[in-house]
Amino acid sequence: MLDFFRDGFYKDLALLLAITVLFGAVFSQGIAWAIDAYFGDTLDQMIGGYGEYDLILHIRAEAKEAAWRELQRIGEQSFPGYKLNETLTIAGQANVFFGLPPEYRTKEVLESITSYFGAVPGLNGYTLMVQPSVLIRGVHPGVREELREQIEALPGVRFAVKDGNNLVVLAQGEDQLPQVQEAIEGILDQYQILELRFPMGFAVDTQEVGDRALEVLRAQEKLTGNRYLNVTSAQYGEDLDAFLKTLVEMRDFLGSYASKVRIAPAAGTALAVGERLVLDGAVQAGQELIVEVTGVFGDLAEGMIIQGSPVQSTDKVVHTGYRLSADGERGEYVGEVEIENERYRLAYAVEESLRLLAELEELAVQASAAVDNAEAVLTTFQEALMQLEVLQVQMRQLNEGIAQSEGKPSGEQFLLTLLLNGLFQTLAQSVLSSGEESLDSLENLDIEEMRRSLDGISTQIANVQEINVAAIMEQIGFVRDTLPDLSDAEIGQSIRLINTYLGGQVIPGERVQLLIQGQKLNEKELEKLFQKELDHPYLHTYSTSAGMVSPDARGEIFRILKEVRSIVAGLLAIIFTLIVLVLDHATIFSTLKQLRAGKKGAVRPWLRWADPLLLMGGILGSALLSSIYHLARGQIPFFTPAVIAVLGFALGVLVAVLCERFSPVDSMELMAAQALGLSHVQIMREVVIPPSRPGLLNLLNRFRQQF
Amino acid sequence: MLEIRDLYKSYGKTVALDGVDLDVAKGETVVIMGPSGCGKSTLIRCVNRLTEPDRGSIVLAGQDVLALSGRELQRFRRQVGFVFQHFNLIARLTALDNVMFHLVLGGMDREEAREKALDALDKVGLKGAAARRPSELSGGQQQRVGIARALVTNPEIMLWDEPTASLDPILVGEVLEVMEELVQNTGTTMVIVTHEVSFALRAADRIVFMDQGRVVEQGPPQQVFSEPRSQIGRLYRKLLLN
Repeated sequence: MLDFFRDGFYKDLALLLAITVLFGAVFSQGIAWAIDAYFGDTLDQMIGGYGEYDLILHIRAEAKEAAWRELQRIGEQSFPGYKLNETLTIAGQANVFFGLPPEYRTKEVLESITSYFGAVPGLNGYTLMVQPSVLIRGVHPGVREELREQIEALPGVRFAVKDGNNLVVLAQGEDQLPQVQEAIEGILDQYQILELRFPMGFAVDTQEVGDRALEVLRAQEKLTGNRYLNVTSAQYGEDLDAFLKTLVEMRDFLGSYASKVRIAPAAGTALAVGERLVLDGAVQAGQELIVEVTGVFGDLAEGMIIQGSPVQSTDKVVHTGYRLSADGERGEYVGEVEIENERYRLAYAVEESLRLLAELEELAVQASAAVDNAEAVLTTFQEALMQLEVLQVQMRQLNEGIAQSEGKPSGEQFLLTLLLNGLFQTLAQSVLSSGEESLDSLENLDIEEMRRSLDGISTQIANVQEINVAAIMEQIGFVRDTLPDLSDAEIGQSIRLINTYLGGQVIPGERVQLLIQGQKLNEKELEKLFQKELDHPYLHTYSTSAGMVSPDARGEIFRILKEVRSIVAGLLAIIFTLIVLVLDHATIFSTLKQLRAGKKGAVRPWLRWADPLLLMGGILGSALLSSIYHLARGQIPFFTPAVIAVLGFALGVLVAVLCERFSPVDSMELMAAQALGLSHVQIMREVVIPPSRPGLLNLLNRFRQQF
Repeated sequence: MLEIRDLYKSYGKTVALDGVDLDVAKGETVVIMGPSGCGKSTLIRCVNRLTEPDRGSIVLAGQDVLALSGRELQRFRRQVGFVFQHFNLIARLTALDNVMFHLVLGGMDREEAREKALDALDKVGLKGAAARRPSELSGGQQQRVGIARALVTNPEIMLWDEPTASLDPILVGEVLEVMEELVQNTGTTMVIVTHEVSFALRAADRIVFMDQGRVVEQGPPQQVFSEPRSQIGRLYRKLLLN
């Protein structure tokens, strides 16, 4: 077989192999590069170049134009030299890139993004994409600041920025990212969040149980040296915690306004939570009154109105309840249902308060006038009393005078004495006798005390009048107006919705989170320990990390693209090798097969797989594929160089076996060429290759063939 | 001129040549006849080593043919004209190129080769078809191009491997005519494998009958056809008489 190559065709073959390998590598690498470049450019357009932008602002599409103007204004005012670019709009949300000038890529600016951009019209949120950075996702709030301090102390780190539950660590340079990332992972490895979960319904005091758990851990001799911290309270973050509390308050607030539904089940009737009852009795026009059982307590049950409205009454209203099936059919009688509506009562009380205040204001005016009158009466009375006293004195003097004049009477005096003696004496005597007593009793009245009392009443009335009753009435009116204008059904549905949300946010059962720094603990071993020491056989423990270094999404995409490029290059190398073997080398193998047909001796069956032609095919295939794959920088997962060599060998053998199907050679032309005394290289160049399949061999041969 | 001794060739278990001895004198025209599969074609293909015999010896013009290799073998083959049963023309080349290309590849000046090729085509009556490709020629014409190709090098010996076997009976005549003319006018040593009894009777100096890989009878045409000694000879005689 070597004779075939010896007379010159080996040069053609060597050239073919060299060009095949070169072309194959360029082809495979080129196509892979083109794919990479295409997707790379597309990605650049979608997510910007590396480090080109620092923020993606997510803006409602309809507010895009206004937001754009505002962003320009913010950029010009706060970040001169900023870059702004719009990218894809997805599902009604426009995304705008914002690039900060380098001098503004500071911790202060990046942590104050909201204060800069919060007023941008239609802003739904933002994503930090500042580079070069390492993103730590899901950093536990209880350890965030501690981590940040440690990370910022690492060499190569500029600073770390809090972004929601994440920490974005900015490196000083892109080349330092691997070391920084490694160091961060080292720090995170020191921390462990151990979570103790209790079954639903166990409302434990997380602080107390957490502290007890810490004591249990500290008591373990083999765990000395570790640092433990109860970080349960930080688990939700301050905002969410406050929000959840608000929701709970809101639920209780609404619940206090909802009608109280008490069900007295009939004898032999059992109710279950969640069952629905339809009520007969006084209801407002409209839908049927339906309640849902929310609790069963022995012989009594409680419920909540979920449809319809009861009559507005401050008194208890009793209805007859019937079971309501899932398909809306009224079932059997279940008992009496008593509905009490605090909302109506409150509204009634508020109305009455307003009336009372109005009356009180009027009453104060009238009382003030009455006191004034009383004071006037008292003054008059006091004056009258004084005149009476004077009169009494005069009368006494008159009486005494009358008595003295009885001894020395003149004519006129005598006459007068006669006239008056009878009249006045009688009068004075009677006045004196009765007036003395009356005056005595009047004088005994404590006028001053009465006046002081009136003054006190007057002061109090004045105080009452000073109260701004109008303001109180206005506010009570406001309270009246702000009473939930909701039907019982609406309140019930709202409470159910809040409960659903709380159920989703608050993990079933209570949980306690412990921060552990130092030696890693085995959660399953600790589970048994805690079950015993905390006396909670149903307690479970879970271990999570304090934060997880997340591959930079952009870098990850480009890394994947690079991998794809290598895989594509590898696959193309394999395909190219196969094509070259089929188009070019199959022709050579076919010729060799034809030429040896007339040779001496028959091939023994057991030697068929040691056929030099197959061996040559295998070696050629292996060499071609290995070279092209290597030069094209192909890299397919699990395809080691040995695997590639074996694959190439297998392809070569396959093509050698099937060569006459892939590229048949005209045996008659070949025989004629031999008979005419042509050398092998001439046979190949002039007879075999020209009509063969178009390929590199055929192409190269055109420069050599003479006919 | 040609000495074949004890030549053996087998294809697997099938014995094609079973100790063939044959001598051909210079200028002699030997026609080899025999039933299909008797080893006739294998024998003449062994002469120019298109088929490698298993053993034996072939000496042509003093050259041990089986000892030749590489360039010597190629040079030897250029001295031997070979006409194939299926013409074996290069399909993509014109008639002229088919006749001249091996001359050019052998080192001859292209123009000189062209002249010689046209001469050869003229001898077989196809000068006018020089520019045609084999697909544009009839079977007889293709075979005549094949003859011109073998003839163009003025070979010392021409080997004919059933040159008319693939031809339409109507076209056989034109080829036989050319062959007879060459036999009569060129003086080239010829070994012809054919079933054309009448042609053999007219053109051959000697007829060799082969059967089952062996030469069973040989002699001048009149002798082997009038008094055949072998079964094959008798069958051919019967054919001739019919």
